Amino acid sequence: MRPFTLNYALPQGLANAVTPYHFDPARQLNVLPDGRPAVSDPELLLAAGTTTSTAGSATHFDD
Amino acid sequence: MTVLILTSEEDVTADMVVARLHETGTPVMRLDPADLPGKAVLSADFAHGDFDGHLSVNGHVLSMGGLRSVWVRRPGEPAAHASHPSPWLTAETRQALYGMLYSAATRWMNHPRNADQARLKPWQLRVAHLSGFAVPPTVFTTAPRVAQQFAREHGDVVVKSASGPPPGEPGLALPTTLIGPDADFSGVAAGPALLQRYIAKRADIRLTCVGTRLFAARKTAEPGQVDGRYGDTGHSWEPVPVPDRIGKSAHEYVRLAGLAYAAFDFAEDEDGIWWFLECNQSGQFGFVELETGQPVSEAVAQWLAQRGPDRRTPESRR
Repeated sequence: MRPFTLNYALPQGLANAVTPYHFDPARQLNVLPDGRPAVSDPELLLAAGTTTSTAGSATHFDD
Repeated sequence: MTVLILTSEEDVTADMVVARLHETGTPVMRLDPADLPGKAVLSADFAHGDFDGHLSVNGHVLSMGGLRSVWVRRPGEPAAHASHPSPWLTAETRQALYGMLYSAATRWMNHPRNADQARLKPWQLRVAHLSGFAVPPTVFTTAPRVAQQFAREHGDVVVKSASGPPPGEPGLALPTTLIGPDADFSGVAAGPALLQRYIAKRADIRLTCVGTRLFAARKTAEPGQVDGRYGDTGHSWEPVPVPDRIGKSAHEYVRLAGLAYAAFDFAEDEDGIWWFLECNQSGQFGFVELETGQPVSEAVAQWLAQRGPDRRTPESRR
């Protein structure tokens, strides 16, 4: 029998969307292709949706 | 003295704090426990009654004697990125890493022991009540009849997950969902169900607590909206003052829970009452800061940069 709560599960869409930045091991933060920290572009972060309450890592469930 | 941030590389919200720490010249090491062993290296020698330990990753080295604070943000499972991961390797790595860190005299945001307890939804409701928050009637049950009775008594109720979506299924979402008394409750016997009286809300409230600092944000809800995390209502988060009574309750909650950081979710009803829904001990704040301009990351960085144990949360010392 399926647990009751799972009856209300929905597909989340693209879980592995490509982000327009990458981790810089030396600076220990994510940077844009031009070298600027990703956090210097708030509009981009909002558009990427990676700071929202549903954007937890695959190993974490704190919203 | 170095701030240790345990989180994944893709955690761009942590970047906001790392950037603040860089600005103030505070040494920081960012490490994902998933990279241990492998990219990250650990060594801890027990001698003369204490550990002399080191962590290194990406060319950065941290001595336990130079540990200023630990921010447990979004850490991966220890050894998850190992060449041959296994539950045993995860358990061994967890012992080595957290055992060493627990032995250090440092301040935690948040101590994992307190975090584990703070994640438990039934416990949250109890602490919220003791702290003076308004808490909606709620039931956790594996008895279909109890679930049905609860739904009949309260009319509109919501079902939500206590622990989030099933691990390993990142494509699955479990939004809080409105159900009626006529739902088929037989599945309740197959897994604990969390049912709560539906609060007809005019807004969602996110209250972020960093040490003793509080940041409240409000987002207007659409009529009948249930879960504010899903769907675009066209409204944005806006900063709002923290009512005195709410502020006192929030401080009491984090004191009882031994938390240095917490993100509270409330539903604001038509009378302006903030109903406690949950408290996420590591809840996201990036979206709040980006939309409201509230300096949450600065507050986190300042808390982490302080020296010495956190006197307000004694459990953070060891």
